[in-house]
Amino acid sequence: MSLQDLQRDMAGCSRCSQCKWVPMLQIKSWRFAKVCPSIDRYNLHAYSGSGKMIIGTSLLEGRSELNDNITEIIYKCQLCGACQVSCQAYRDDIDLADVLLELRAKCVEEGFVIPEHLEMIDSMKREDNPMGMLKRDRGDWAKGLDIPNINNQKVDVLFHAGCRYSYDEDLQDITRTAVMILKNAGIDVGIAGNDESCCGGRAYEIGYQGEMKNYAEDMASRVRASGAKILVTPCSDCYYTFKYLYPKNNLDLGVKVLHITEYVDSLIKEGVIRPEKDIPLKVTYHDPCHLGRRGEVYKEWEGEDKLLRPVRYKQSGKLGVYDPPRDIIKAISGIDFVEMERIREYSWCCGAGGGVLEAFPDFSAWTATERIEEAKATGAEAIVTACPWCERVFIDAIKKNGDSIKVYDVMELLNLSLGGR
Amino acid sequence: MLAKDAYKELEDVLGPENISEEPGVLDGYAWQPALNLGREAWIPRPEAVVLPETTEEVQGIIKICNKHKVKFKAFSTGWAAWGGPGEQGVVQIDLRRMNRILEIDAKNMYAVVEPYVCAAQLQAEAMKKGLNCHIIGAGPNTSPLANTTSGWGYGWTGLFTGFSGRNPLGVEWVLPDGEILRLGSIGSDAGWISGDGPGPSLRGIMRGWGGAQGGLGVFTKCAIKLYPWPAGPKEPRFKGIITDIKTTDVPKTHKVYFLFSPSYEKYADLAYEIGNSEIGYVHCKGAFGAMFGLLAPRAMRKMLASPAIRTITRAFQHMTLFMLAAHTDRELKYQEKVLKKIASETNGIALDASVFPFHQMFWWGVVRSIFPAMVFRPGGDFLTSMGSNVAYDCAVNQAKEGEKIKREFIDKGVFLEDLADCTWGGIYEGTSNWGHLEEIGMFDRRKTEPDGRFEYMDATNKAAIDKSLGYGLSSLGEGYYKIFGPLMHDYHIWQAKIKQAFDPNNTSDGSFYIPPIDELED
Amino acid sequence: MSKIDDLAKIVGPKGVVTDKDVLSSFAMDNSFVSGKIPQCVVRPRNMGEVQGIIKLATLGGLSLIPCSSKGPRFRGDTIPVADDAVIVDLSGMDSIIRIDKRNKVAMIEPGVTFGGLSTAVEKEGLRVVMPLLPRKTKSAVASILEREPTTIPKYHWDMSDPMCCIEVIFGTGDMFRTGSAAGPGTLEEQWASGQAQKSPMGPSQSDFMKIMQGSQGTMGIVTWASVKLELLPKIQKAFFVAAQDLSELIDFTYRILRPKLPDICLILNRTDLVSIYGGNKPANDLPPWVLFYSISGYEYLPEERVDYIEKDIADIAGQTRVKSEQSIAGISAGNLLGLISKPSGDPYWKLRSRGGCEDIFFLTTLDRAPEFVKAMNDEIKKHGFPEQNLGVYIQPIQQGRNCHIEFNLMYDPKGSEEMERVERLFDSASKALMDMGGFFSRPYGQWSHLAYSKCLDTVTALKKVKGILDPKGVMNPGKLCFAKEE
Repeated sequence: MSLQDLQRDMAGCSRCSQCKWVPMLQIKSWRFAKVCPSIDRYNLHAYSGSGKMIIGTSLLEGRSELNDNITEIIYKCQLCGACQVSCQAYRDDIDLADVLLELRAKCVEEGFVIPEHLEMIDSMKREDNPMGMLKRDRGDWAKGLDIPNINNQKVDVLFHAGCRYSYDEDLQDITRTAVMILKNAGIDVGIAGNDESCCGGRAYEIGYQGEMKNYAEDMASRVRASGAKILVTPCSDCYYTFKYLYPKNNLDLGVKVLHITEYVDSLIKEGVIRPEKDIPLKVTYHDPCHLGRRGEVYKEWEGEDKLLRPVRYKQSGKLGVYDPPRDIIKAISGIDFVEMERIREYSWCCGAGGGVLEAFPDFSAWTATERIEEAKATGAEAIVTACPWCERVFIDAIKKNGDSIKVYDVMELLNLSLGGR
Repeated sequence: MLAKDAYKELEDVLGPENISEEPGVLDGYAWQPALNLGREAWIPRPEAVVLPETTEEVQGIIKICNKHKVKFKAFSTGWAAWGGPGEQGVVQIDLRRMNRILEIDAKNMYAVVEPYVCAAQLQAEAMKKGLNCHIIGAGPNTSPLANTTSGWGYGWTGLFTGFSGRNPLGVEWVLPDGEILRLGSIGSDAGWISGDGPGPSLRGIMRGWGGAQGGLGVFTKCAIKLYPWPAGPKEPRFKGIITDIKTTDVPKTHKVYFLFSPSYEKYADLAYEIGNSEIGYVHCKGAFGAMFGLLAPRAMRKMLASPAIRTITRAFQHMTLFMLAAHTDRELKYQEKVLKKIASETNGIALDASVFPFHQMFWWGVVRSIFPAMVFRPGGDFLTSMGSNVAYDCAVNQAKEGEKIKREFIDKGVFLEDLADCTWGGIYEGTSNWGHLEEIGMFDRRKTEPDGRFEYMDATNKAAIDKSLGYGLSSLGEGYYKIFGPLMHDYHIWQAKIKQAFDPNNTSDGSFYIPPIDELED
Repeated sequence: MSKIDDLAKIVGPKGVVTDKDVLSSFAMDNSFVSGKIPQCVVRPRNMGEVQGIIKLATLGGLSLIPCSSKGPRFRGDTIPVADDAVIVDLSGMDSIIRIDKRNKVAMIEPGVTFGGLSTAVEKEGLRVVMPLLPRKTKSAVASILEREPTTIPKYHWDMSDPMCCIEVIFGTGDMFRTGSAAGPGTLEEQWASGQAQKSPMGPSQSDFMKIMQGSQGTMGIVTWASVKLELLPKIQKAFFVAAQDLSELIDFTYRILRPKLPDICLILNRTDLVSIYGGNKPANDLPPWVLFYSISGYEYLPEERVDYIEKDIADIAGQTRVKSEQSIAGISAGNLLGLISKPSGDPYWKLRSRGGCEDIFFLTTLDRAPEFVKAMNDEIKKHGFPEQNLGVYIQPIQQGRNCHIEFNLMYDPKGSEEMERVERLFDSASKALMDMGGFFSRPYGQWSHLAYSKCLDTVTALKKVKGILDPKGVMNPGKLCFAKEE
């Protein structure tokens, strides 16, 4: 796909600005009515979903050119997909999220690159992760857990930790907790250890679409080699990559892909996992973009006029993973669960995605702070989520602002209720 | 490009983050397909875009523009071509950063808002206090300040919440010379409670049936009337986005009805009796074909391709979407009884929508006024015409005329098939017996040339003139004042005099208001 | 040829009056405004003559003061300031041009009184929404142009109500029609297409009707107006709510207005109630304050309407601890309703107790009414004005969003000392109430200086408008913020 292929989508934009707002029927207050961090922070229309589509049209028609300013606007966007949800509430013929991806690909093609992103790609090429960490250390998080390595044996379930959960020392406990929950539930789960590598999704998102293909092929062969029927990951970004980006690019892993919350939720409902301990805590849940609206499986539709595309093929975000994490939380006795206003398909982004954390950390932090404010407004003592990138930026924002609200992963909370520490 | 010193002066007032002259950024303000009656979606690219946060910054911008003889044009949400420049050489003022609800006086039923508060935000906050606001047909993403001070103002709760142009109280207005004018009581240190006086009401300069659409300066604050939200939920919470919404929050004193009349005449009679009986919260012509188009566009295309189905659906053409929202059970009971009696006496059918599974979704969608805004869905674009604000019998005559004209243009492929029935509008202000019916045409700009649309506007304008159907939305197009003005006491000359008096340097882009008087007199 | 001769050519010799007594009667009224004797009174019969008069005035030597009501007058707005003033007496243009029953609108000339209009429209099952007991001679058009508050808040959607459209001759001599009356098409063509000159806005992007309202004749002369009418109820019931203190009524009033339960809804103190009701009822027998309201049933199920409203109001009364009664101290609410549904009988109700009355009125919100009443009481104490001579009338308007507060200072105009005291009280209280935030939106006489000194931006803007509509300054010079040209 190229930007040119999306020319009709972009030309369909009526500049209604829905892309800036929570879907209108769900606006519950003045304070939490906005949904796009980019336009909310930077205010010029160009930063909105519509604004970027107009940039696309402007470029294609030769009315303006790519330059550093425009590149920065394109990249000051977490690709959270909220604009697409709000747009597609009314429109069937605009795939805004795809336009945003193709704009980045165009930037890279024409040499307008963000230095920090170049470093990420370089790191991926050298060490199979975008974080500048060493490949040989990737499997260290699992030391001492006695989890089968798929190089040594076949397993039913392949646990793909993802880069952030593998390397971030503040979050490795969550990784361990997640895999042990499965193991203790009797699941035949294995890991790839140091041989695990990046899913490639972030590379695609920052415009290096070709890079992802390498990692996808690598991923597919690893899955085949493991013998697994199920690929489970605790990382929402990886989940989105497997469910959306791979199929979009004709890459089929050939197995069922589940987020850890989906899997664990089913195990709870089957009675295999039983949360028992009371956890008296008031919590709210943050829907990670890549697990929720962006985690919706890719649906191929072949046709020219998207006005004729059936609704079931729209990537409206409706089929993302929203209830399993919530059901897990609600299965824990003692929890007082409250919702924020911007949830589910129209959740406010944590701020980390799309290469923003790496290239524009201030903007990332600003976005995270806004989300923490919303969590605090519910009176919750903790914000619970299911994505390492969200957890990272929330922890940093809370620390920077001196807030007392806690951050939990769903698995951490469940683990407490299972008697873990 | 703006002169360097002008740019610098603006940057000094606003800060570098709040001004841009980057072409790709400016094109975000030049892409304006909605209600654009030009040949393409692009309008003139502004010289620069500026984002003020305060009234003082707005004044600063305007004074700099005057100093450097550069025009300016302000918008709130910027949806629709009239919000942007109508000519080259205009600085776009984007009021996005002026986004606060300054006050809601629940007892005295008004709110004071800045330009970038959207109607959904205002409604959400008003509902917490048992109140509601008028939302125009373009939807809850529009700016109440903008449509109250500067736009039109039809909304389907108009039976209960009036018309935008009748809803302002005090207004803060930065005139085209940069001076501030505070209309009404706020200008006399008496609060926001009234927009009229002392003496003559300068609201008459600010707007008439329509507003100046950016041609007379910038409105920075407006007190807007709020209306009761009878027994309604204060903070409704439910899952879903639009058509998938399910809620248990529908109050038992709220009811949605579809009313079917056998003819336009009976439809009108029904409307008159509803108004006279002082019942109802929402009254709006329902357009059967369009409703499908908005909620199930592919189904509409398939269905309406069948002549048999088209014939059957025509039987439901004279449909009223009607909602009751009562304060008490007794009030509801009375209103329902009256409604049924009126329906019966006008040979109509009243269908209680609560029998349908989509009832909850429909109720909330009606309250939040989302459905009219979905008129973009079937084709990506639409335009409107007829729709003058008149005694309702004449509005109905416009509907008939508009449908007849539109049928030809549907047959020519200019508009999507909608049974030639996308009339939208209702009665306003309770017992007033005035209202409107506009004829909407949906189309895909990417597939069709504009000439047919221009012909449609010409045809509807001609009908409005020939058959004395009032001055309506058909007059939206550029230069139509040349046709209508001489037929209507030269209103255009008087408006140009206002423009001349209040904007002697012609710095406020009057492209959608009126040209300078010397141009008119040429 | 003199200007008077020129005028006679337009209106006919009988249309120009130079009788000294008649002229003197226009040089003063019941207000404290003083002015000059006009050079003549001219009585046009139709729009063409009005236009001719104005065009003549633009040639110089004449200033025009439109006057639609016969006396007694109270506001000082028709008292000439200029030497060359001519009173344009429109009271003879008193046709009811058209009543449209279906659209509930009447098109009337300026000389039509409320009484005349009410009688005519009642035959069609309609009613006029009136101010409180207008005097018999009051022009309906003039009243609505002055934005006098009407007694039924639920029908008052905007400050301009019940005005719909007007035909006006501006101070330039140009004729203009506002709202949906502007066309396109003649009035007859509009009627044929189903129009009724009902929609009040525009045409297009300005609204000269709003400019004409409140202008005290300084912008032009209205030659007809279309006025919104309402259905005459099939059933009506009226009630009082009595209170010792005004504050007891406020919450109840807000709460019944919110769901638009009452028709007429207003608050009077006992002084005003006695003046209106008449009779020999000693004031002290009555409660200090009453809320008076009526409820109605129309064409469909009128009894059921009245029934549910009465019950809903009873619930609200219970919650706010007030009691609705159909009579108090022998005064029947039904009888009062009958009185209030018509113009005032003679003598005009405000003059009944002492022969003279000076009004102070402004806009505020109902919740502030008690503090303004207290302030006024402080003022009357300061000036030794007897409390029993102070009438208070509070009229919620704009569906309860704000209210008109009116203090009626009843006094004996024959006593010069009393008159001087009232004048001092009037000046002092007006200033105090304005400083408290009372909005003097109708700045008659001395108020214009006070009011406009607070809003110089409005003055600048109004002068621009005046420059458009009356560039030669022929219309009522010296009024509002328009200084008389030297």
